Amino acid sequence: MRNKTVLLTRTLIKNGEGLGIRGSSTFAKVMIILVFAIMVPMLMFGVSSLVAALLKILKQIGQEGVVLSWGIAVNSAIVFVFGIFYIISTFYFSSDIENLLPLPLKPRQIIGAKFLVVTFYEYLTTAVFFLPVWITYGVVMRSGFLYYLYGLIVYLLMPVTPLAIASVIIMIIMRFTNLSRYKDTIKVVGGTIGIFIGVGINLVIQNIAGMMSQDELMELLQKGNNSLVVLTSGIFPTARWGAEAMIYSGKLPGLLSLLIYAGFSLLIYAALLWLGQMIYLGGVVGLSETGSKRNHRKGLELEKKAVRGSVIRTYTLTELRLLFRTPIYFLNCVLINFLWPVFLVLPMLFQPEQAKTEMMQQLSIALASPEAAGWIIVISFAAASFLGGSNGTTSTSISREGQELYVKKYLPVSYRQQLTAKVLSGFVLGLAAVIMMVLFAVLGLKLSPWLGLLILATAWLPVLLTSLTGIIIDLYNPKLDWDNEQKAVKQNMNVLYNMAAGAIPAVLTIAAKAALPGLSSLIATTILLTAVYGLLCLFLFKLLFTLGVKRFCRLEG
Amino acid sequence: MIELTNVSKIYGNTVKAVDNLNLVIPDGEIFGFLGPNGAGKTTTIKLIAGILNANSGTIRINGLDIEKDALSAKMQLGYVPDTPNVFLRLKGIEYLNFMADMYEVSTEDRRERIESLAKRFSMDDVLNDRIQSYSHGMRQKIIIMGVLVHNPPVWILDEPMTGLDPRSSFLLKEMMREHADSGNTVFFSTHVLDVAEKLCDRVAIINKGQLLFCGSMEEMQDHFKKNTSLENMFLELTESEE
Ligand SMILES: Nc1ncnc2c1ncn2[C@@H]1O[C@H](COP(=O)(O)OP(=O)(O)OP(=O)(O)O)[C@@H](O)[C@H]1O
Ligand SMILES: [Mg+2]
Repeated sequence: MRNKTVLLTRTLIKNGEGLGIRGSSTFAKVMIILVFAIMVPMLMFGVSSLVAALLKILKQIGQEGVVLSWGIAVNSAIVFVFGIFYIISTFYFSSDIENLLPLPLKPRQIIGAKFLVVTFYEYLTTAVFFLPVWITYGVVMRSGFLYYLYGLIVYLLMPVTPLAIASVIIMIIMRFTNLSRYKDTIKVVGGTIGIFIGVGINLVIQNIAGMMSQDELMELLQKGNNSLVVLTSGIFPTARWGAEAMIYSGKLPGLLSLLIYAGFSLLIYAALLWLGQMIYLGGVVGLSETGSKRNHRKGLELEKKAVRGSVIRTYTLTELRLLFRTPIYFLNCVLINFLWPVFLVLPMLFQPEQAKTEMMQQLSIALASPEAAGWIIVISFAAASFLGGSNGTTSTSISREGQELYVKKYLPVSYRQQLTAKVLSGFVLGLAAVIMMVLFAVLGLKLSPWLGLLILATAWLPVLLTSLTGIIIDLYNPKLDWDNEQKAVKQNMNVLYNMAAGAIPAVLTIAAKAALPGLSSLIATTILLTAVYGLLCLFLFKLLFTLGVKRFCRLEG
Repeated sequence: MIELTNVSKIYGNTVKAVDNLNLVIPDGEIFGFLGPNGAGKTTTIKLIAGILNANSGTIRINGLDIEKDALSAKMQLGYVPDTPNVFLRLKGIEYLNFMADMYEVSTEDRRERIESLAKRFSMDDVLNDRIQSYSHGMRQKIIIMGVLVHNPPVWILDEPMTGLDPRSSFLLKEMMREHADSGNTVFFSTHVLDVAEKLCDRVAIINKGQLLFCGSMEEMQDHFKKNTSLENMFLELTESEE
């Protein structure tokens, strides 16, 4: 008899969507491949050159191994943070669970298979960052065959520990907070807590690592012989073993480290299965129940609830309602806008007191200087463009329709109006990010409130711009064939493409400002930016209302 | 009135789901659309509703072309899909309000209609709950209510009785009769031949996208030259195709 966990894993992976290429138009496929073919190597090349430069310095003090241990630690941290989202959605919110529960499978087989699926997808993420570190180190240090072999094992086992830790946290949260009546709220709160725990744990750990005194650090540094590698074990214990296995690949300690590394990974996987066997079902059963009030006394309250509204308004509000009420959408499209400032503020809180006040003072002084004003508006536009692009609302607005797209086709509402409402819903959410950013700058960094107002009055344009690019991207490459909401947003490449579409104007804006030193006045800069972004928006609206509408008309789901 | 002229639909260059279909359904008629699984019923209905674009041919709703005059044509239509799982995260009342806004129904009209429909379908207790918490039949009812709230002249229903309890199903049939009798058009697909036999003024039977028969019960019996049930005729018609 075949192993059921392995069987289930294969089925789940096959049933998945891969990179979301399936079902796209040929044009979209070519674009996707092009973007991958350009972006991924660029990123890997960037990491690789960074590693090479670092190695040159570190080799002189005999600390080159730090590159590996940090490579593993950073990768583990990335896996952990992404993993938290990933694990909640695959373990608890994916719709295949309802089909799996009636099958004669043990909870640990389900958990095991789902865990392996997530691990499998994480390989793609970690490859981008870890492969260049691994290869570059090997080439620079002229490592032998064993180094590469051990490296492969390290790579394959790398996601296990961080994902297992994430899974354990999530399973405990889900098991002991699951009030199925309030499932959606719980999902959202659980997800939010998960993110904060994830970020929090990382910061605390970083802090502990950073708390080592200056002297101790110097001592470690002077020891040479890769003594710094020890430090990283504070972040993820496996990072040290993994790194040492690779550094000493030719010798016995290397083999020992590898065995410890592999043993620990397998042990933690086993622990996860054991815990899953005990508490997984308790958290997952009843997840599809929804609270209902069955309110007899209050009546229908039609005076309040049945009031005519304009088509655009109702359509936009309904889009927003669905975004707020679907946990996965809420986390990825709504919450993200409010999280950025938190990500910015949190690390500051963890700085030593003195450094913090100094930094804040210097920033405030810099912000108050007259030459800075032009730059501030440029940076606001760039930031707004980036924030707007990273909000996945419009870039998944067609995909989110999924199999229900047909409803939008029989409604007697023009596609132009429908697309406008969709842009509007993303725009409103993106605006929240800009408002948060301005609040942070004015309250935290003592930016002049007038500048703050000026930013609010103009920097909505980049948000509109990225909302437009998002929906155009999604129109050309929508992901409609999903059975679980997370596939529509989490496993949707369009979010990444629109992030790139937002990053490009951000970079260009800053580059343009740097290239035009003559342009320093606030007013001139603002007018120029507003004009350029305004024209771009008009152009994209035109595009959306012609080609976009045609495209929407042709989509048949 | 619904007119289909030489309508064909091909999925992905290979599957000919609807093959050169010609149908005219005049005002005041309940029209039953029958055929085995995969015959092309849902596809035809989606073409009429403007969800799919036909590869060739024209479709007119009360004289309005569904492609060229899309919005005004869609205003004439109420469509009930074969799966009632839409907008699950909205509350029933929010869904009805959404549909009413999309079809530009005035505040007074919608209140009156929602109130009476909720009573007739015994849904008043649950309208403030999310559709997600509804049973299959309740979901079906809320979708039907979503159509009736804008009261369109042409109804297109894809297997509308599936999952309805006997009372709701009876109610729906009664409403279909009323609607047709006041000069409107009702077009629906079904697998329940008894319903078709008793309710429809005319029926069409299709298989593999092609029209096998179209006409009233009497015409069909003439065609077969015997006095037998719709079931027997259906079986005979669709079998000889094999
Ligand atoms: N989205 C699609 N893509 C490709 N082929 C399809 C699609 N939808 C339907 N078909 C094919 O078109 C044909 C007609 O399907 P349709 O759904 O119209 O049948 P139906 O008469 O409604 O059947 P049923 O009684 O089962 O509801 C079938 O052969 C089916 O396989
Ligand atoms: Mg059908």
